[in-house]
Amino acid sequence: MKNFWKRFYLVIVLLFLYLPIITLIVLSFNNTKTMGVWKGFTLKWYQEMLSSPQILNAFCNTLFIALIAAVVSTIVGTIACVGIMALSRRQRNTILQLTNIPLLNADIVTAVSLLLAFGLFGISLSLGTVIFAHITFCLPYVILNVLPKLRQSGTSTYEAALDLGASPVYAFLHVVLPDIMPGVFSGFLLAFTMSLDDFIITYFTRGAGINTISTLVYSQVKVGIRPTIFALSTVIFVIVLVVLLLSNFLPDKIAQKREEDAKKGIELTPEQRRKKKTLQRIGYGLMAAVIAVVSIFGGRYVGAMTGNGEVIYFYNYGDYIDPDLVTAFEMQTGIKVVMDTFDTNESMYPIVEGGQVSYDVIVAGDYTVEKMIANKLLQPINYENIPNAANLEPSYMEILARTDPGNTYMIPYTWGTVGILYNKTMIPEGRITSWKDLWDPELAEYGILMQDSLRDTFMVAEMILGFDMNTSDPEELQQVVDLLIEQQPLVQAYENDAARDDLITEDAGIGMIYSGEYLYCLDENENLDYVIPEEGTNVWFDCFVIPANAKNVEGAEKFINFMLDAEAGLATFEYLTYPIPNSATMELIDEEIREDENVFPSQETLDKCDMYHYLGKEADQVLASYWKRFRGN
Amino acid sequence: MFKRKWLTAPYLAFILCGTVIPLIAILYYGFTDQEGSFTLENITAIADEEHAKALGLALLLALICTVVCLILAYPVGLILRKNASGKKGFVVFILILPMWMNFLLRTYAWKALLAGNGVLNNILGGLGIGKLNIINTPAAIVLGMVYDFLPFMILPIYNVMVKIDNNLIEAAYDLGASKGKVLTKVLLPLSMPGIISGITMVFVPAVTTFVISQILGGGKIYLIGNIIEQEFTLNGNRQLGSGLSLVMMVFILISMALLNKFDKNGEGSII
Repeated sequence: MKNFWKRFYLVIVLLFLYLPIITLIVLSFNNTKTMGVWKGFTLKWYQEMLSSPQILNAFCNTLFIALIAAVVSTIVGTIACVGIMALSRRQRNTILQLTNIPLLNADIVTAVSLLLAFGLFGISLSLGTVIFAHITFCLPYVILNVLPKLRQSGTSTYEAALDLGASPVYAFLHVVLPDIMPGVFSGFLLAFTMSLDDFIITYFTRGAGINTISTLVYSQVKVGIRPTIFALSTVIFVIVLVVLLLSNFLPDKIAQKREEDAKKGIELTPEQRRKKKTLQRIGYGLMAAVIAVVSIFGGRYVGAMTGNGEVIYFYNYGDYIDPDLVTAFEMQTGIKVVMDTFDTNESMYPIVEGGQVSYDVIVAGDYTVEKMIANKLLQPINYENIPNAANLEPSYMEILARTDPGNTYMIPYTWGTVGILYNKTMIPEGRITSWKDLWDPELAEYGILMQDSLRDTFMVAEMILGFDMNTSDPEELQQVVDLLIEQQPLVQAYENDAARDDLITEDAGIGMIYSGEYLYCLDENENLDYVIPEEGTNVWFDCFVIPANAKNVEGAEKFINFMLDAEAGLATFEYLTYPIPNSATMELIDEEIREDENVFPSQETLDKCDMYHYLGKEADQVLASYWKRFRGN
Repeated sequence: MFKRKWLTAPYLAFILCGTVIPLIAILYYGFTDQEGSFTLENITAIADEEHAKALGLALLLALICTVVCLILAYPVGLILRKNASGKKGFVVFILILPMWMNFLLRTYAWKALLAGNGVLNNILGGLGIGKLNIINTPAAIVLGMVYDFLPFMILPIYNVMVKIDNNLIEAAYDLGASKGKVLTKVLLPLSMPGIISGITMVFVPAVTTFVISQILGGGKIYLIGNIIEQEFTLNGNRQLGSGLSLVMMVFILISMALLNKFDKNGEGSII
């Protein structure tokens, strides 16, 4: 009975540790990207995974970084341990304290300090900086695993080997190393795992264009994580699980057999023993070789797919383009598209400004583009080379001209409004008309969601108070913050991508959301309805721009032209569900959707709307300080 | 035995370039303003209400997380000590295996599990137990922290546990000690190094996390990690970010110094 409770307890703890993993495995077969609803079994994410260069690339990068970091840190660490043994007690303690720093340091401090140091020495971020950072934080794990073993193993066998005429290196390799091997191996394994699982340090030290699985996940927050990543993780997990189970149970079986043999009086001859050892070594070697081959050749393969001939470098939000369109463009023109992704405009901007990587096309939000224009980071669009620009709806171009006079730099890719999505089964249809409804205590029981985004969240309060959505007046901003703080107790969560999922699963009944998400949500849950509040709202555009330092302007123009094609627009609309400012595409869209004023608002509604503008560096800082005042409350 | 001190050289180079110099960089930024002249403002900024509150909350949640981890992990160590002493490798594997599934994804999975209409609530509802409404609260953040860092508590405790000589325990029983006495007077003191390193391994990442609070806290709860992250990414204020990082480090070092008083030998290790 007692044993039962012990087992029960262990099972509960294991269940706790493996519950999210089971969840992710199940979600990888789920026929929707909304987390938390089951829409039937599918293998499509696995198919998509295999055909997505981005995912494969991230996978190879992750393995490659982990492998190099683990190998280098294991070698350097093990050698260092031998050296440490020769040090005096005081020196040894000093070195061990230094070793502890990365362990005791917060990941974020390690990451940030490395970032600052790279910056101070003018080292531009790249794959190399990520690997260096990973080696740094892996080393302590190796040292802490190897050193105790080395201490345990003592010196007598080593000295005996020397006495018998072995050279120090030979004695180390053949006498000491086999003795400390378990420590070296577990150090290596831990280093590999830590590197594989790291997000924060990679996030801060990576160069543009380098994605690992972690950073890819993070870059997809704008539109929601695509289950292809769940599929990839499932594959990795299952492979590792099988390898681990085999490596743990096979030796047991062998040992069992050996015991039986011993009982029967069969002794292994030294010859056989050596053979067995060799076999074991070959096994480990094979495992390492498989990882190495996959990561190196995989990287090469992706590199070859994108590295030959003409290339354009494209910088976009994560999962913000139909991958089939990219393939179609590549087939049609023979130009390879190397896509790099970011999570927010704020994280993209410094990379473009830094200019360490020159992109040919970038998709960016309107007010960030305005900032790029102000800082002379862009070049004017040559409309002659983009004949499909004629498809762009003139009335939207007019709105966009408020930000970009003469439509000089920006070609709109998607556009939309910010409004309120609510559940008609909880809240009567027509009840929601105003931003003030998000402050209604009666609705709080259904769950109110707000965006976790400085400009959008401030905008709502500014609309209610009747301010300009581009205000940076401290007095007005204080009122905005006060109003938002007043709302805080009613709000269920401040979230961006997750808002959509919570409304679909009916965890929340009402929330602010981008109009582009409405059609997707409606598809998943037909009880939802979208309203543009009467006070007016923000109209936003995500635009194609060509940076001033673009190398392949011609390719960029071809790409933009391709994307403005009516059919391409339709594909984009269907993939993203975000409205496309393309009149030729509009004709291809279902009439029912085309007439939906929620998605394509009337001119009258649009007249009440405004766009965000870039307010300058000082105003940005004022906004940021008020934002912190609100969020830190 | 080995008379080759110079073998530490490559490692020292890594420590120097990867740890010491970056720390100096953070010190430099922490004590200068945007024009590069000396200031204490970035350090004293911790007294601002929103910063102090975020630090306090981070310390509190990390403390709760550490205590919960300890309470959960210690019995695991006790049970495994007797039952699985021959399978050390396997135990370690089982505990670190979850890390092969991306950390961000695992945290997102908790969000799906804990949601009001999520999997757990459906199961609980089906059993007639009622709903667990902790998503978007500090409780959800603590749960996420416990989940992520529990292996780092179990491993070191388990490691010292398996090393405890059974004869000592038998001797204690022979001398008439009760079960409780054996636990408090023999096992607990002997496993102290493991407990200490477990606490360190859990408390430090818990204080500084920003991802867990962002995903499971519904954006309503700001910890010091979130503030630092935003200073570097959103606000581009490296000086303030560095200053706050330094303050956070000091708090961690103080906590660890207090803790290390109990660990005289430094025997605890993760593997």
